[in-house]
Amino acid sequence: MNVVSLAARNVLRNRTRTILTVLGVAVAIVAFVLLRTVVTAWNVAVDYAAKDRVATRHKVSFVMTLPKRYIDTIRGVRGVRAATWANWFGARDPRNPDSFFANFAVDHRSYLDVFDEMQVPPADVAAWKADRRGAIVGDVLARSLGVRKGDRLTLEGTIFPGNWEFNIRGIYTATRRSVDRSQLIFHWDYLNESLPESRRDQIGWTVARIDDPSRAAEISRAIDRTFDSQDVQTLSMSERQLNNSFMAMFDTLLDALDIISIIILAILLLLLGNTIAMGVRERTNEYGVLRALGFLPRHVVTFIVGEAVVLGLIAGVAGIGLSYPVVEYGLGRFLEENMGGFFPYFRIEPTTTVAAMGLAVFLGVVASLVPAFRASRLTVTDALRRLD
Amino acid sequence: MSAEPIVKLSAVNKTYFRGSESIPVLDGLDFEVPDGAFQALMGPSGSGKSTLLHLIAGLDRPTKGSVQVAGKELSKMSDAELAAFRANHIGFIFQSYNLLPVLTAQENVELPLLLTKLGRGERKTRAQTALRVVGLEERMGHYPRQLSGGQEQRVAIARAIVNDPQILVADEPTGDLDRKSADDVLELLGRLNTELKKTIVMVTHDPAAAERATVTRHLNKGALQ
Ligand SMILES: Nc1ncnc2c1ncn2[C@@H]1O[C@H](COP(=O)(O)OP(=O)(O)OP(=O)(O)O)[C@@H](O)[C@H]1O
Ligand SMILES: [Mg+2]
Repeated sequence: MNVVSLAARNVLRNRTRTILTVLGVAVAIVAFVLLRTVVTAWNVAVDYAAKDRVATRHKVSFVMTLPKRYIDTIRGVRGVRAATWANWFGARDPRNPDSFFANFAVDHRSYLDVFDEMQVPPADVAAWKADRRGAIVGDVLARSLGVRKGDRLTLEGTIFPGNWEFNIRGIYTATRRSVDRSQLIFHWDYLNESLPESRRDQIGWTVARIDDPSRAAEISRAIDRTFDSQDVQTLSMSERQLNNSFMAMFDTLLDALDIISIIILAILLLLLGNTIAMGVRERTNEYGVLRALGFLPRHVVTFIVGEAVVLGLIAGVAGIGLSYPVVEYGLGRFLEENMGGFFPYFRIEPTTTVAAMGLAVFLGVVASLVPAFRASRLTVTDALRRLD
Repeated sequence: MSAEPIVKLSAVNKTYFRGSESIPVLDGLDFEVPDGAFQALMGPSGSGKSTLLHLIAGLDRPTKGSVQVAGKELSKMSDAELAAFRANHIGFIFQSYNLLPVLTAQENVELPLLLTKLGRGERKTRAQTALRVVGLEERMGHYPRQLSGGQEQRVAIARAIVNDPQILVADEPTGDLDRKSADDVLELLGRLNTELKKTIVMVTHDPAAAERATVTRHLNKGALQ
């Protein structure tokens, strides 16, 4: 027997109250972990964005297209190693028209060279390149569409009306967390050939791979300058810059999430504080007995703070144990499948786990300081009189 | 029996202050207990018996006067010095036993030893020895709720003697017990007095309990009679 085991046993003494407190705190921790994970998952897209890619689009708007010949000009700009292009296709699964996923018509010759974090077995890449109607889908999308390699898939066009037939030639996985694993890509040629003459040879945007990431801004300017005197002007920026400007729109939302996190922590503090204060009040007489035996006020503080640490630990473990299934398997799966563009990688960061655990214990200690101090200040006889 | 009393209170005044109100409980009290005595203290409720015991046990300080116990002057001691004094010289026995419910009998008895430098094994041996003295060796793994009132009080007595103090101070130790258990406890206190030479000061309302003591003193309105 020692101080720690005595504290632990006192925590378990009023089971019902401890269980209720632990559950309350655990739920608050789940909410906390969830919010922090939204923030970290959001930042993952920025942090893991490739630094060596420059995207170019129509100067006016994302939805306006560029002449296809621009790709050759961009490939000729100094510092550009490779370049590819893509068009937004915007088709949907007729079996499930409400669930959104990104689908692009891409240059099958160059796309996977520029987006090399999309991993496809080489044999499948070859098969895809050889099949005009071939398509490659992300593993997350493949699961939700219920398709496998070799399957046939019909999509319903929205921007380009009609039924479009594809052969699934490969499934891609990701080597980088910023990759949306719910995309479908297919041959740009397939789209282009089916369009009327007047709408052909238009590309949505280009993406260039550059030699030196530190020169991204410079190369972006160089590309835009090349097209300055043409009738269609461009806007180029690095992938990271693009993600940053996109995230900036959500800054206030992220601030709001931070404030809610703090409110959750305050609730946690009150929950723990209430339980600890009740326990201390009930046991005042026992602290009197300990003092009568010769224990000092600081021992009383140790007993009470020790109890709070044990309570915080139990609640922290319970909260984190609950967070993983809820956040990673429940909501995380859902978000990765349905909002992969925003949350390509919705997982609890180890730092979040450590923070949640640390805060549960820390707040327990904070909550116990006032009752501990009060109990230790009582005279022995006053503590003993809170008796029968 | 040595000439010098082990407890010596001289001109002790104890007044409680509650806000603006002052409650004088003891006033100019002189009180002595010879070494090795077994004294019973009787008197009506509110006469100040517990207050007097608390002063002897170093749980509280007098408002005025001198309290000498085991050769030490308690009235001038700091809180920490009083705590150390209690741990080394006093065994306190309460009316309602006051065992910690989350600890077993043996752990309850061991509790005061946590303040010493003794190792785990030695603490355990001493706790078991104390339990043997009170005849509850085979109950050492039981929790207080698994014991009868009389057994709980005997565990509390084991806790009071585990540090081998010179003085045992008991505040109505049989107040919550039936006749049979009360007699067992009194018999035990008698043995501790005669065999282990503990000085005992016991407050009681029970004339049969007072019988056991070698001397019975009466306190009324803060004055000895
Ligand atoms: N901490 C305190 N604050 C204020 N008054 C107190 C305090 N302790 C005791 N008293 C008062 O002092 C008086 C004596 O109390 P004490 O407990 O010593 O009596 P007692 O003789 O032990 O009585 P009982 O037989 O009922 O236990 C009582 O009037 C009581 O209300
Ligand atoms: Mg009393």
